[in-house]
Amino acid sequence: MDRRSFIRILGIASFFHSSLLKNLFAAEGPIVAVAEGNDPAQITRSVINKLGGMKRFVKNGDTVVVKPNIGWDRNSDQAANTNPLVVKAIVEEALRAGAKKVKVFDRTCNDARRCYVNSGMEAALKGMKNVELKHIENERFKKIAINGKALSEWELYSEALNADVFINVPVAKHHGLTKLTLGLKNVMGVMGGNRGSIHKNIDNSLADINSVLKSHLVVIDATRVLTAHGPQGGDLGDVKKFNKVIASTDIVAADAYATTLFGLKPEDISVTVAASKRGLGEINLKKVRIVKA
Amino acid sequence: MKRFSTARLSQIIFLFIFIFLFVQTEYRGNDTISAAVNSFFRADPLVLVSYLAAVKSFDFLLLPSLLMVFSTLLLGRFFCGWICPLGTILDLVTVKIKKTAPIRLFKGNFKYWLLFPLLSSAFFNINLAGILDPIAILVRALTFFLYPLIGDGFRTGWVGIYNLVGDKRDMLAPGYNIFKDHLLPFRETFYPLAFLSALLFVLIIFIERYERRNWCRNICPLGTLLGLLSRFTFFKRTPVSLCADCKACRTTCPTAFDDEYLSKQDCILCMDCQHKCRQERVSFSLSAFQTHKDNFAPERRVLLGGILTGFMLSGVFRYRNPDAMAQILRPPGVRDEDLFLRKCVRCGECMKVCLKSALYPAALQAGFEGLYTPMLIPRLGYCEYNCILCGQVCPTAAIPNLSAEKKKLEVIGKAILNKSHCLPLARKINCIVCEEHCPIPQKAIRSRTEQQTNDNGQNVTIQMPYIVEELCNGCGICENVCPLEGKPGIEIFAVKNRNPIEISVNDTTIKLPIKKENTNYGY
Repeated sequence: MDRRSFIRILGIASFFHSSLLKNLFAAEGPIVAVAEGNDPAQITRSVINKLGGMKRFVKNGDTVVVKPNIGWDRNSDQAANTNPLVVKAIVEEALRAGAKKVKVFDRTCNDARRCYVNSGMEAALKGMKNVELKHIENERFKKIAINGKALSEWELYSEALNADVFINVPVAKHHGLTKLTLGLKNVMGVMGGNRGSIHKNIDNSLADINSVLKSHLVVIDATRVLTAHGPQGGDLGDVKKFNKVIASTDIVAADAYATTLFGLKPEDISVTVAASKRGLGEINLKKVRIVKA
Repeated sequence: MKRFSTARLSQIIFLFIFIFLFVQTEYRGNDTISAAVNSFFRADPLVLVSYLAAVKSFDFLLLPSLLMVFSTLLLGRFFCGWICPLGTILDLVTVKIKKTAPIRLFKGNFKYWLLFPLLSSAFFNINLAGILDPIAILVRALTFFLYPLIGDGFRTGWVGIYNLVGDKRDMLAPGYNIFKDHLLPFRETFYPLAFLSALLFVLIIFIERYERRNWCRNICPLGTLLGLLSRFTFFKRTPVSLCADCKACRTTCPTAFDDEYLSKQDCILCMDCQHKCRQERVSFSLSAFQTHKDNFAPERRVLLGGILTGFMLSGVFRYRNPDAMAQILRPPGVRDEDLFLRKCVRCGECMKVCLKSALYPAALQAGFEGLYTPMLIPRLGYCEYNCILCGQVCPTAAIPNLSAEKKKLEVIGKAILNKSHCLPLARKINCIVCEEHCPIPQKAIRSRTEQQTNDNGQNVTIQMPYIVEELCNGCGICENVCPLEGKPGIEIFAVKNRNPIEISVNDTTIKLPIKKENTNYGY
């Protein structure tokens, strides 16, 4: 081989350098992992593993907050709250990844004692070491400057703000005002004050809150889903079994994908649209890699 | 150090039982509450007699009080000396209070002029006995005044510690949680009539400065009733009169010996005279019926006058303000206001146990006869859909003891949207938080999507709420969560027709001509 050919080959070879190749494939966008199956704990684990395992999010000694939906005095079959088996699996994974403490809580809409018990959360997390399932303590709310489009400031729960890892675990279900309530709306559970008043401009308000409180991991519970008369239902006839769990680091992409399970398009949900316009994530599912676990 | 008499021991035990049951009257994670918490009321003869007079029928819940009546007939007024927690409290504090002279007004027939009108007006359908019942006075003073104060004190202290040391407070959490979970009230509630309840209690203690057990011997309608029942007991004290050379029993006895002899109506069987008699002359024994030394007390004119006064009183308290009545909401299951007012003992147990602090004592809104009866104030607390606690603690079933399935269908009132106030209806601003929180599975509040022009002239898409009255049970959560500060955009109003609603769960077909807006996706 002569010297010129050799140099040409070297030049062309540089295009195949791994970092350049990685950038080419990275243009595929965020990953949404989906698992389907009859065992909620098992599909939760497999969907987290598909994203790289809990160790990707939780380092040794971290304080982890798992924020499920425990808002309503309904039992697990009625699908108004997050499936306790899904929550338990996430908590177990966090502990195995080295979390020092896992805190689970929600600011409920009904009586907190009844919600925590009847949702099945108390029974599921009973006796687990380094796991705290506590009622909201009002003194822990901290006023945070938001300077958003709808909200200038709001009280947010300090335990969520101070966590090393914030895992957002909504249950996918119908909602009268927003059509569906998913990950973006689930953060209302860490808001203090008069939450009802944000409904007058809910799309921008939720985008504001999610801008200051980022979810490191979103796990959407679609094992059993309330398809009508949400967000609390009560009629088992409104509950359908989807047997799916969705996980992503991109909250908008996760919500967008979950929306399709209800036969709707991501753009139909104005909360998701507002969040994507704010740059909180990718709403276009063509730009998202859906990975089946 | 004086010896503990058996009576004193019994008093202390029952006082602890009373306090224990009081603290247990709370949601502690169980849908069922032990029936024992209202035991004192179910065993209360004044509750029994006023119930029989007002309702003119019997309820088996009150069987323990029948037993108490028979025991009193046999043994005498032992309830006052061995059981009554108010009496025990008076005995414990009275030693610290210096005595002056008895109040002449309270002597003689005063207590009969109180008891007979109370029972007589109950017969004429105004049952106010519970207002002066000693157990009710004690429970109300604790529920409305002392217990919230203690809870608030602990809570403020706990929050104060957080403000000082932040998360380091978690080290103290195990100790505090013992208080919080088992002893303190769960939520911060402030009640109307707290002052009156505390005042009644404090006054009873205050009058101790005039005479020992002043309330018990001269005023208490329950004690007076028990005294009347004690006239024919088999229990007898020897000697019946004060000994000429001593008369120490007059100072030892807490309630009797206004005259020279021991009147069975006054004797509370504490047996202090027996313990303190230096000559050991006093003994108590069962004996055959013996004739009473004194005349038939009270006199006939007092009896007749009392009955007549009760009759007249029953006419005096009948006015009810219509505006106020439109918003008198009663606990679930109460269908008839008049019957409720006759059965309600005004004990305060339902208000103590209410999970969401929805029940509050009425002052004069339901008329004077409604004083201390429970009413729902939705803006402060709503009736939790799955909760059935109040019916379980009511000692007279004025609030019926219903299963959860039945209770959900009972109508407390009906929700009405205020078109001038509600955000979507008045100002074309999105909200429907009320619909979100409506617990009826098919939703008694629904919304339709409409194109509207808002105050700024913009064309907006608004969810406009409306109420399906046939499905509303008046629980009040909608009024409770309405985000408007001040007057809510939706309110619960009282209705006369409280027939239960009909819903079919597990089956989404509804027999109503209402379009199912915004509720399904073609699945």
